[in-house]
Amino acid sequence: MDSIDYFHKEDREIIDQLRRGGADRRRSEENLFNRFSYFIQEGIRKHALVEDDAFNAYSDTILAAIERISRADFQGRSSLKTYLYQIFHNKCVDLIRKKTTNKSSVHRSESISGRLLFISDTARSVIQKLIDKADWNLLRERLSELEDKCRQLLLLWGDSYSDKEIAAMLNYKTADVVKTSRLRCLDKLRKLYKII
Amino acid sequence: MDNLDYIDSYFKNELPPEGARQFGNKIESDPAFAEEVAFYLTALESSGENAEAGKRQRFRELYQQKTAARSRGTVRKLVYYVAAAAVFTGVVLGIYQFENPGSGRQLADRYIRDHLTTLGVKMGGQKNSLQTGLQLYNEGKLAEAQAQFERMIKSDTADFTAKKNAGIVSLRLREYDKALRYFEQLETYSTLYSNPALFYQALTLMERNRAGDSDKAKQLLQKVARDGLDGKESAQAWLKRW
Repeated sequence: MDSIDYFHKEDREIIDQLRRGGADRRRSEENLFNRFSYFIQEGIRKHALVEDDAFNAYSDTILAAIERISRADFQGRSSLKTYLYQIFHNKCVDLIRKKTTNKSSVHRSESISGRLLFISDTARSVIQKLIDKADWNLLRERLSELEDKCRQLLLLWGDSYSDKEIAAMLNYKTADVVKTSRLRCLDKLRKLYKII
Repeated sequence: MDNLDYIDSYFKNELPPEGARQFGNKIESDPAFAEEVAFYLTALESSGENAEAGKRQRFRELYQQKTAARSRGTVRKLVYYVAAAAVFTGVVLGIYQFENPGSGRQLADRYIRDHLTTLGVKMGGQKNSLQTGLQLYNEGKLAEAQAQFERMIKSDTADFTAKKNAGIVSLRLREYDKALRYFEQLETYSTLYSNPALFYQALTLMERNRAGDSDKAKQLLQKVARDGLDGKESAQAWLKRW
């Protein structure tokens, strides 16, 4: 029996939904955010953070938790509340220490390294160097210039939805149609990005 | 596009083992392909970051909705609390007034309302000056009743009943000093079996409620209670509560 079977019903539903993915994932993300949003007040009270910082710490917490729960990294050894509070506490401490590390670049680097685990060190090094040269701001700008349907497809792809899930969410006939459309959109983005 | 399909298949673990092995070699040997892989990963990360920014925005909206709802709830709760407090205060005051009327003024008000709103009229008797005065009093024509009783006093300065009623009607007319003068005069009728002079003086002082009146009224009530004078029961009850 999974440890989360002993969890509070509401927690169990959120975890199950996040693990299942699909169209309901977005709703379960919002439910998770709402469920423990009182942490924000605790961040203000216990860590003396301003509301905006406490909100950001909590949002970071939820995003991290969503990722871990979806990947099944969360094994339910502690309650969802305890698990989230530990993450939240660390985020608040980071804010208090005013860590100036560019977190998005660290996160990117970790994320990309994770995707390149199974290629040689040489190949990984080549890719890493090319990515380091990428103009992220320009790419973000070009992404926003794409037509709505394309942008939506790529954002869902970036948010780790499978083609099958995207097909159900955006009313495509099959996952294969999604894949074709998505790659076409990616190609458009590349062409826009290359025209500098 | 072909390469993007191949790259996509690799990162989705859809390639057979041989294809996956060749993927790394192709990166090392084909700079254009390496660039496409780098673009694919950059686009994937960038899309992920955009999606995350969208979620943060959604979270902010949810938080603002919740905060606004909480504020509305707080205001609503406050209204309920204020209303409940008002009701509670009313109930407490009501009980307090009922059980413990508190100030001498309140005690006096209640006594006047319960006992002195109407005065006894002799039924069927011959209509005389006293009956006329009492009837005027009971009809609420207090000034006329006062004039009637004072006429009686003029015609008979020893008329105890006229003085008593003149005192009561003066009290009702809030002419406290005059009322006190009449009630003080009643004191001289020491041979009467029933004489509420001290009790009515105390009542008038309680109603007038000037500085020192309360203490003086208490002393009078204590005397009424101690000596068993007219108004003893009320005096004893008030002294317990007051």
